[in-house]
Amino acid sequence: MSNPKRPVPAYEAPGSRPETARERAYFPELARGLAISAGHFLRNLLWSRDPSPDVLHRRGPNAVSTVQYPEEVAPYPPGYRGMHRLVPREDGRPRCVACYMCATICPAQCIYIEAGEYPEDPIEKYPVRFEIDELRCIVCGFCVEACPKDAIRMDTGTHCKPSYDRPSIVYGIDRLLKGPAVSHASDVWFKREGSDPPPEADPHPIPERGR
Amino acid sequence: MRRLIGMLALGAGILVGLGIFAWAAYEVVDALGVVTFAAGIGPALGQALGSILFLQLLFVMLLATLLTLAERKWSAAMQDRIGPNRARIAGLSRWSFGGVPHIIADALKMIAKEDVVPESARASKLLFQLAPALNFAPIFCLFAIVPMGPPVTFGHLVGHRLVSISSALQISNPDIGLLYVFGVASIAVYGVSLAGWASGNKLALLGGVRASSQMIAYEVALGLGLVGMMMAAGSLRLDQMTQYQSQGLFGTSWLPAWGIFLQPVGFLLFFAAAFAESKRTPFDLPEGESEIIGYFVEYSGMKFGLFMIAEFVEIVTLSGVITAIFFGGWHLSPFLDSWIHDSVVAPLVRARFSDPTLIAPSIELTMAVIFTVIFMVKLLLLCWLQLLIRWTFPRFRYDQVQRLGWRILLPIGLLNVFLTGLLELLDGSTRLLGVVGLCELAFGLGLVFWTGPSEAKSEGHGLPTEAVLGGHP
Repeated sequence: MSNPKRPVPAYEAPGSRPETARERAYFPELARGLAISAGHFLRNLLWSRDPSPDVLHRRGPNAVSTVQYPEEVAPYPPGYRGMHRLVPREDGRPRCVACYMCATICPAQCIYIEAGEYPEDPIEKYPVRFEIDELRCIVCGFCVEACPKDAIRMDTGTHCKPSYDRPSIVYGIDRLLKGPAVSHASDVWFKREGSDPPPEADPHPIPERGR
Repeated sequence: MRRLIGMLALGAGILVGLGIFAWAAYEVVDALGVVTFAAGIGPALGQALGSILFLQLLFVMLLATLLTLAERKWSAAMQDRIGPNRARIAGLSRWSFGGVPHIIADALKMIAKEDVVPESARASKLLFQLAPALNFAPIFCLFAIVPMGPPVTFGHLVGHRLVSISSALQISNPDIGLLYVFGVASIAVYGVSLAGWASGNKLALLGGVRASSQMIAYEVALGLGLVGMMMAAGSLRLDQMTQYQSQGLFGTSWLPAWGIFLQPVGFLLFFAAAFAESKRTPFDLPEGESEIIGYFVEYSGMKFGLFMIAEFVEIVTLSGVITAIFFGGWHLSPFLDSWIHDSVVAPLVRARFSDPTLIAPSIELTMAVIFTVIFMVKLLLLCWLQLLIRWTFPRFRYDQVQRLGWRILLPIGLLNVFLTGLLELLDGSTRLLGVVGLCELAFGLGLVFWTGPSEAKSEGHGLPTEAVLGGHP
């Protein structure tokens, strides 16, 4: 087997030849391989699995690394761009002022906005319809960057749920408006006459880790 | 911890279940024997029918069916996965029952699938239909000579005569014993080659040809591996081989004279050859399902299922044969056998029955049931070992198989036969055989555990899993 005159076949990877007499005897290495398999088998058979979705930090002798997806969801890393949400104000209305910045920058052209006006307010607009076609969205995050009002974020930590038909993946305000309310001291509605004072500090900072 | 306790409870439950099964088998075999004896044709026919029912149709087929699932669950455990657990029995959505519903799902799928006879197989349609059965039948028949339980004498009142009928859990016990194994085992390859040829598919034909050439390469080693044990036991009958292994080695009572201690080389040879015979993974080039396409490409539905189940039946059968020849059959060791008899069974039975005429037969039956359970446990462990091998080793290339068969196993087998013959000539008892066999075993184990001075420098080329993954394997 280690005949130096025999040409090395092309399919043989370098270093794949057995080196020592023990390796050439073949069956000792087979037995060691069997021991490794048997060890894994017994560990995984006798000890229960840590169901923590954080696979790399599972504890215990059981080495099963499966995440049972619908029941266990692996956390997304910090900074993950997930499903959009329309950020609400303290009173539950969207922060969005229907400026069309996001719809304009969107490379996939998946955002559709119809603006409306408050009858008592000659300046501020609001979205009557705000729809994102999540099938067309390429999750680039440009809309979040473009928004002058911090009204759209991608910090939900989830992704778009699958569906059996296309219309149900076009998300409207009813499904996009969710999550903790956000207000900034610079918000214009705190500066009008008779408005409430702004909160002391930003009570809802952009979270470290999306959930 | 809960899982550990659950697994131990499951193991105990399996032991109890096997015991009940063995007891029922003895009762039914005996009852059928009495029926045919009363009919005037002797007890052998009824006993054989009972054994066929319990050993072949129930034990082997059920075990083979469960092994189809075990293959998937156990391989998953070896590869740090969970394995199939999504099939549910209607309504019980919380429990996966260890994946057992998948067996039902698989069977339904196999039966409900369209049974395609390809255009290319029209010319030899009969052979095409016959091939799965030709493959399955010999393998299934192989279990007929495996002795699973010792003979038990039952007394019966037939008419006005008291007759004692001896029943054993063995379907047939011919004098040619092991020759039957060789003969029938090699017939199975006809089914494989026919399947390849009758498919009218060149790739299937190549698979069939690979199967037959591999068969020829291994048939010799298969026989030579057993010649040593035949010479030592002086018999071809499996029950006598089991009897031979019940004695102690070197006059001790704790070390049994099992075939693995007397003939470790013979065991390795026979195990390797038998594995090649079952066409499973280190030797699965006849099928090579992942890329080289085997003899059953053209088969679908239950005909494919028959090829599939034949593999698992072969696993069970080989485990049975190996248990009987190399692992002492139903014996543990002389000391343990008599300890179970004297300290466990006899006091329990004496406490249970006061009628002295019932005590001796009850002890005999209880011991036989315990022995049968011991045999089944050994058989299950060997089945597990075969699955372990199948999921650990990569496939041999075709030329490697031929080289292994002809240039390595055949000479080793011949040497082993000569050596065993010489030792038998020098010393007729098991003493010399035991010394040499244990030396061979110790040498082999030494090779396994002695990793040599090269270990230190070869430390570095593995993947740095521990360091990178923070202790998680």
